[in-house]
Amino acid sequence: MNLFKIIYSGKDQYLDLAESMVKKIIEEKGRDAQVKFPSTAYSLPVIYAITGEKISTTGELEKALELAKEFIHEGNRLQDALDAGTASAMLAEIIEAVKYTMEEEPYKAPLQGHLTDAQIRAFGVPLVTQDIPGVAVIIGKCKDSETAAEIIKDYQAKGLLTFMVGEVIDQAIEQNVKMGIDLRVIPLGYEIESVIHVVSVAIRASLIFGAVEPGDFEAHKKYTKDRVKAFVNVFDDWDDKIIAAGAAAIELGFPAVTETFINEVPTLLLHQPNNEKVVETSLEVRNIKIKVTKIDIPVGVASAFEGERIRKNDMYAEFGGSKTKAWELVRMKDMASIEDGKIEVIGPDLDTADKIPYNLPFAVVVDVAGKSMEEDFEPVLERRLHYFMNYIEGVMHIGQRNIAWIRVGKESYERGLRLPDIGKVIYAKMKAEFDTVVDKCQVTIYTDGQKVEDLEKELALPKYKARDERLASLIDENVDTFYSCTLCQSFAPAHVCIVTPERLGLCGAVSWLDAKATKELDPTGACQPVPKTGVEDEEKGIWTDVSKAVDIASQGAVSRVSLYSIMEDPMTSCGCFECICGIMPEANGVVIVNREFGDITPVGMTFGDLASMTGGGVQTPGFMGHGRHFIGSKKFMSAEGGLARIVWMPKELKDDVRERLDAAAKELYDIDGFTDMICDETIATESETVLEFLESKGHPALTLDPIM
Amino acid sequence: MSHEVLEFDGISTGLLEKGKADGAETIWDRQAAMKAKCGFGDKGICCRICAMGPCRISPVEGKGAQRGLCGATADTIVARNFARMVCGGASAHSDHARDIAHVMHIANKEGNYKVKDVGKLMNLAKEWGVNTDDREPNDIAHEIAEIALNEFGKPFGVQRLLVRAPEQRQKIWKDLKIEPRAIDREIATLMHSTHIGCASDAESILDLCMRTSLADGWGGSWIGTELSDIMFGVPTARGTEANLGVIEENMVNIMVHGHDPSFSEMVVLAAEDPELLALAKEMGAAGINLVGMCCTGNEVTMRHGVKIAGNFYQQELAIMTGAMEAVMVDVQCIFPALAKLADVYHTQFISTSPKAKMEGSIYIEFEEDHALDICKKIVRGAVENFKNRDKEKVMIPEAKNSAVVGYSVETVIQHLDKVVNSQTDVFNTVKPLSDVIWAGVLRGAVGIVGCNNPQVEHDKSHITIMKELIKNDIIVVTTGCAAQAAAKAGLMTMEAKELCGRGLKEVCERVGIPPILHMGSCVDISRILDIVSRVAIERGLDNSDLPVTGVAPEWMSEKAVSIGTYVVSSGINTYLGVTPQVTGSEYFVDLLTNKLEEKVGAKFIFEEDPVECARLMMEDIEAKRDKLGI
Repeated sequence: MNLFKIIYSGKDQYLDLAESMVKKIIEEKGRDAQVKFPSTAYSLPVIYAITGEKISTTGELEKALELAKEFIHEGNRLQDALDAGTASAMLAEIIEAVKYTMEEEPYKAPLQGHLTDAQIRAFGVPLVTQDIPGVAVIIGKCKDSETAAEIIKDYQAKGLLTFMVGEVIDQAIEQNVKMGIDLRVIPLGYEIESVIHVVSVAIRASLIFGAVEPGDFEAHKKYTKDRVKAFVNVFDDWDDKIIAAGAAAIELGFPAVTETFINEVPTLLLHQPNNEKVVETSLEVRNIKIKVTKIDIPVGVASAFEGERIRKNDMYAEFGGSKTKAWELVRMKDMASIEDGKIEVIGPDLDTADKIPYNLPFAVVVDVAGKSMEEDFEPVLERRLHYFMNYIEGVMHIGQRNIAWIRVGKESYERGLRLPDIGKVIYAKMKAEFDTVVDKCQVTIYTDGQKVEDLEKELALPKYKARDERLASLIDENVDTFYSCTLCQSFAPAHVCIVTPERLGLCGAVSWLDAKATKELDPTGACQPVPKTGVEDEEKGIWTDVSKAVDIASQGAVSRVSLYSIMEDPMTSCGCFECICGIMPEANGVVIVNREFGDITPVGMTFGDLASMTGGGVQTPGFMGHGRHFIGSKKFMSAEGGLARIVWMPKELKDDVRERLDAAAKELYDIDGFTDMICDETIATESETVLEFLESKGHPALTLDPIM
Repeated sequence: MSHEVLEFDGISTGLLEKGKADGAETIWDRQAAMKAKCGFGDKGICCRICAMGPCRISPVEGKGAQRGLCGATADTIVARNFARMVCGGASAHSDHARDIAHVMHIANKEGNYKVKDVGKLMNLAKEWGVNTDDREPNDIAHEIAEIALNEFGKPFGVQRLLVRAPEQRQKIWKDLKIEPRAIDREIATLMHSTHIGCASDAESILDLCMRTSLADGWGGSWIGTELSDIMFGVPTARGTEANLGVIEENMVNIMVHGHDPSFSEMVVLAAEDPELLALAKEMGAAGINLVGMCCTGNEVTMRHGVKIAGNFYQQELAIMTGAMEAVMVDVQCIFPALAKLADVYHTQFISTSPKAKMEGSIYIEFEEDHALDICKKIVRGAVENFKNRDKEKVMIPEAKNSAVVGYSVETVIQHLDKVVNSQTDVFNTVKPLSDVIWAGVLRGAVGIVGCNNPQVEHDKSHITIMKELIKNDIIVVTTGCAAQAAAKAGLMTMEAKELCGRGLKEVCERVGIPPILHMGSCVDISRILDIVSRVAIERGLDNSDLPVTGVAPEWMSEKAVSIGTYVVSSGINTYLGVTPQVTGSEYFVDLLTNKLEEKVGAKFIFEEDPVECARLMMEDIEAKRDKLGI
């Protein structure tokens, strides 16, 4: 077996197909038709990253072919073979780009095909927290659909993101494997070329989070190898094209495991004929360590189930919503008063249902104790309840505190899920995730209506109130320590957030209290205290020691930062931000767009385009990525006038932040209903009409100092 | 004095000029004085085996004497001279091994020598059928030592370690009747065969050469390696430094030079003696700096990280730094010239072996029974000599490089284990190495061995070939002075992966090894035979099927002739960068470079241009790959 010749033969097949398809599209559409994958600022992403060349028209596809051919030189050195792999990837991308040019929607549900930038950015937080510990790419067809389902579910249960190419998709469908982006099981397409869409995800991670320059292929390879924990599984007989694609994967640092014999290359190309061992083989070869807390309940518990939705028809029981009361509380107690591991249900369990859906009052009280536990950590732990419950297969959790809303699916009930199981998961997860602060934990679930009502008044509401007061007093001026957060550095190596009470992490996931608790959980970990000393400019938020901390934590990439300005040394972002804010000079303000919004904004760019201007730890004055929650903070670009600069946001975002934003604007500027002064896509997206709207509303931005 | 030969080595020039001023004489002075080489000797057609001659055969056919007085042709004379070099080499390696076996035979818990690697002892005991139940390691060692010693003179049977070769190879040896019997017997037999009036058929003499050389490679050398590892520890990967820059101006410098680890191991202990260290401080030195030269340097660097002062051609330069308090030598490759050179400086030149008593040296006989005391005595003398150093004459070149050394087969396999997936493969095999070769990630492997030889620019051939090969994804294993050349050139660092092709670079990164692996001293070429045979056995093939070659770019010693012959006889094509003294017989040259291949599947190739030599080896390797269909 001559491995290199196999790769060259596969590459030749991609080349023939790509050449004929480019010829055909030019014949059909001419040379000026637009070539683009949906909603990406990096077109065509793989070719762009490798060569630095953007391809945007059918005519330019010929240039793309030439760029790919530069990687073709059939020698007998490994680099020659890997270059043929790279050429194959570029050719596959050309083939896929032609498909997207030929038709609007070449991949129809459930097939995914191309992933948008926003979809990739949404993976950012779970990737850096290793909530998604790795990425599996399954190609081919398993010996039977049961095997396929077992393997996919195994990856799913371990939290991996699984992409499928080929007939394995049908096998998964046949076995009712829950799939979709939210469930981390993504069917790409049937043809091998569709695998480029996951390559594109990896490469765009490098562009987005790594801020690696397009054209610096060496740096992209290093990024994907070191940071994107992907691997490939090939089932059934491989063909030359699959192996050529495998060479591309290997060049990016992704090992491949084949079911059919192949000449092995340790750590890169493995032969595993035993289907039962393929998962373990793959995790070991990519050095993926799964943090498993084995929890003995009748259904699965995995981060991959976090995005699972329970629709009305699938619902067995429902707590909260508008139907019943539902609330949750984590409280600190002294060690002696807790019986570790005790799980108690007070009131009826699920099997007492008189009708379906079964609406029950619900309260969960989690008592914790530990030598390093602090009352300030209670809300940090409590917020995790949302995730812990969502991790349970067939349980959906929305909201928090006394607006919690929980659904339990029929299937999970039938498999034996009962309320003590939810308690078990909460207990196990609390102990596993907060092992350094939680020494003891007990969980009490109440479904007795009277108790739920009484205890809400006695226990929950006073606690919530006390916490709100504590939070309200937590303003930047009142603390002497901020925290640095470098959680993202596994993906965005140059980025560091400074988290203050009024400026939570840009991902929206790390508040000042979270950072403080994280420091306690892992004293040398991602969050480190930063003394708020050496004030240089309080208005812009510049402190010498803060800049120094950023300099060190970013390995010298950023040496000076203003916390409250987006125009002068703004804080960098990683890439997984929920929102991007960019200036709209003619309106003397900024637009904010959240990543769920796919359309164009008044600055002529989409979320993806705006987002591509910054991220990856790069300072770009005039642009800032941030979390939704930051809209409403009095420190939001306060150096440039603050929230009053917001002139445009998508409607959905406006509605989401309205309450806090209005309250803050009232306090800051004595303006009532400020949110309604902000334009949105239902009103206008053209610069001129936006301005007209702002003028009609007397928007405060118009009278502020010029923003630039 | 012409020093064109030194072009490749910038550090030597200044030192040579200083040496000249000091009144020192070097190999290059003597080379210049030698003028042209003897043409007859160079071609191997001068016979002085009996006293009827010397007879010289005319190098031109049909013109002048075509036969010696006894009638021996050029073919016979060349073959006999070659054979006697094989005997010289095989006896040197084997006698070295015999000494180690004797040391092993006196191993005991209280003495200077005790078994260090019990695991390797037990493995060998198992292989050799020695009972280990309820026995103390040193006791087992005595029995092993006795078996090993019998390998030198046993009346019947063949060498025990031949079974480590692939079965196909063993069959070739059996069919050709070249399975080596007792080591001493093979050497004696070949000496006998080349006596006046004995064998005159060149081809049969070459067959006997192969058998004798195999007694070295698969006998003496391999026994030497095995027993040294058991007594002094299996080498493991460790850092060191190499080149004259390791000599320290503010310390007592002591150099061990020669080959036998039973001596150098004791010197290492002596140099760490607290009392002697204190004495050194008293003398105003910062400490005792032990450095190694040639193969004994390799032995102690692999096991202790002792720094390498240099390789063969640098032995005089080390003394010429003027900072060397003592040079302690045992056997092999020691210039007799060192005695006179040491007199120019304050250096004590101490010979220790009754086999290698050097004229003009201080002779302190090394006796294994009280080895440490003797070594301490020598070290003490060196420390006391520190005060005699003439600071005016001190000049230590700055050049040195770091290196990672110590890649015994066991250590290589341990590194390979790092890339084994526990779900698909088993640990403790060479399969990962075989896999990357089969996949084409590595094109093949080359063993680069041998000496320095003033006939070529020293180290240049070594380094040129090494760089060419690693650039082309060929992994290099090396021993002896070639290994030291690589260490000095910085090729034994992890950073050297940047000089490699992508395939080898990937292997270096993933396995965590430098691209050029230091496998030991010249006796340790057995380690190379070992790893090649393991890969062949892993694939169910013979050594000659594998894309591997051997090369001795700058060889000079009889040992190298024996090595080359046993490597070829083991099925590995061997390239020589210095043409051996055989060109007086076209027939014998054809045997070596052509006909041998039909017999043992491998042959010699003479190529003095290192770039061309590397190219030929790569062609050779690709041809082997094509044949395997990989």
